[in-house]
Amino acid sequence: MGRAQARGLGYADLPIAVMPHPFGTLTRDGVRTLAVSLVADIASLACKSTDAVAAGTPAQTECAALVDVGADADDVNALFRAQGWTDGLPVVAPTQKRVQRMLEATTRHPDEIVARLPPGFGAATVQRIAINAVMAGCDPACMPVLIAAVEAVTPPQFNVQTIQTTTNPATVWLIVNGPIAQDLGMNGNLNCLGQTNWANATLGRALHLILLNIGRAVPGELDRATHGQPGKYTFCCAENETETPWEPLHVEKGYRADQSTVTVVGAEGTLNMNTHTKNADEILNVIAATLPRPPSNDYLNGGNPWIVLSPEHAHILHAAGLTKAQVKSRLWEQSKMSVRLLPPIDFARIQSVRGPELGTFTQDTLLPIATTPDNIGILVAGGPGTHSTYVPSLGSTRSVTRVILP
Amino acid sequence: MTTGRQVYDPVAPEYSGPQQLRQSLDGLAGKVVGFIDNAKPNFNYLVDDLAELLVSKHGVERVVKRRKRGAGVPVPDAVMQELSDQCDAVITGSGD
Repeated sequence: MGRAQARGLGYADLPIAVMPHPFGTLTRDGVRTLAVSLVADIASLACKSTDAVAAGTPAQTECAALVDVGADADDVNALFRAQGWTDGLPVVAPTQKRVQRMLEATTRHPDEIVARLPPGFGAATVQRIAINAVMAGCDPACMPVLIAAVEAVTPPQFNVQTIQTTTNPATVWLIVNGPIAQDLGMNGNLNCLGQTNWANATLGRALHLILLNIGRAVPGELDRATHGQPGKYTFCCAENETETPWEPLHVEKGYRADQSTVTVVGAEGTLNMNTHTKNADEILNVIAATLPRPPSNDYLNGGNPWIVLSPEHAHILHAAGLTKAQVKSRLWEQSKMSVRLLPPIDFARIQSVRGPELGTFTQDTLLPIATTPDNIGILVAGGPGTHSTYVPSLGSTRSVTRVILP
Repeated sequence: MTTGRQVYDPVAPEYSGPQQLRQSLDGLAGKVVGFIDNAKPNFNYLVDDLAELLVSKHGVERVVKRRKRGAGVPVPDAVMQELSDQCDAVITGSGD
């Protein structure tokens, strides 16, 4: 990973010393022994003369290559499987005709580089986005959403670099707001985070194929996830804008209701919160009691946790006079976690990360889940039922919303 | 391949644009070496030990240690600038 990153950042000859894994579990004496064995190598590498690196032969073109393949769908999938070009599921063949149809759904030039995606820093051209969209089964009308999604993952605060490479089960959750969600037939209602809706499924899959094939986050290579999670195949939904009692997410973020947006979240999965209470305080108590977990990256970093409120729960909270901001504040205050739950090594780790924000910890320190209440995200989605869902975040990430343009 | 068709390769090559050549040192004696502690468990101890060994065994004049806030966040620009201004070489690490 170090070599690929160094190459991508323009220092292909960065000297790297390699030490055996695992390192974090060594005893203090073990670390000392390792340092003694490494220091001569490090000293030598620091003084090693610069290699004559092939200094920069930028690609003449970022135009994707065409590959010959048999006419049968099985031939295509055999090729893509052998090359490692898929997420493990069969794909729609990205033929010239299909990719052209996808490109006709955007005003952006096929050669335009929308972003360079880490960790490989491959060029996400409009054409490559279209190719991966075809593979995922997207309708051409999805193209503007995908371009906006690629733009949304690039700002530093989203931290797609870490999402792509971490040992944590991090993935990108895509939320679509505004009229385009309805135009595409997206689901923000019953089973909105589940299967069968074509737009939800293919949009989420396309973005993850883009992150795999263009960002080059290949599992076992630059993607170092210990377990990963199912949301690395697809994780996408709309908000239930017709049933939310509050302003929808994109309006909360400063966009007009008639604009369409995509929001990306650095997510770690979903956790069901089922309560039959009709009392707003009790709903907040249940959610706030669900969030604290000692291994949580939200508490470690001061994160960006998301709550997907069912319309039923949202209406109870709204009827009690609560705004979204007030719900966030209440949850932030009530969900503080005692540092006593942490093993000593994690106590020290979180002290290091959050010390500048919270000061020196004592055994009575209470950790807020996010640095500010506003960093708790709220989405109203789903169908009838007494369930809300907690979507933990990677912690060192902040969601990003981008407007979808033609 | 027989009566086949053509499909696009969906993969982008890893970036291989203009590469900058790093500076190499003629030796460590009298040099200032910086460390960026990646905030992973044990890395602070490795930094302490390497720093002591580089000074005692390799003649490094001075060591500057800076710790990241967390493993998953970048070093602030100000710290990068500080290390860049002071150090002849900077060492960091990746992994667990």
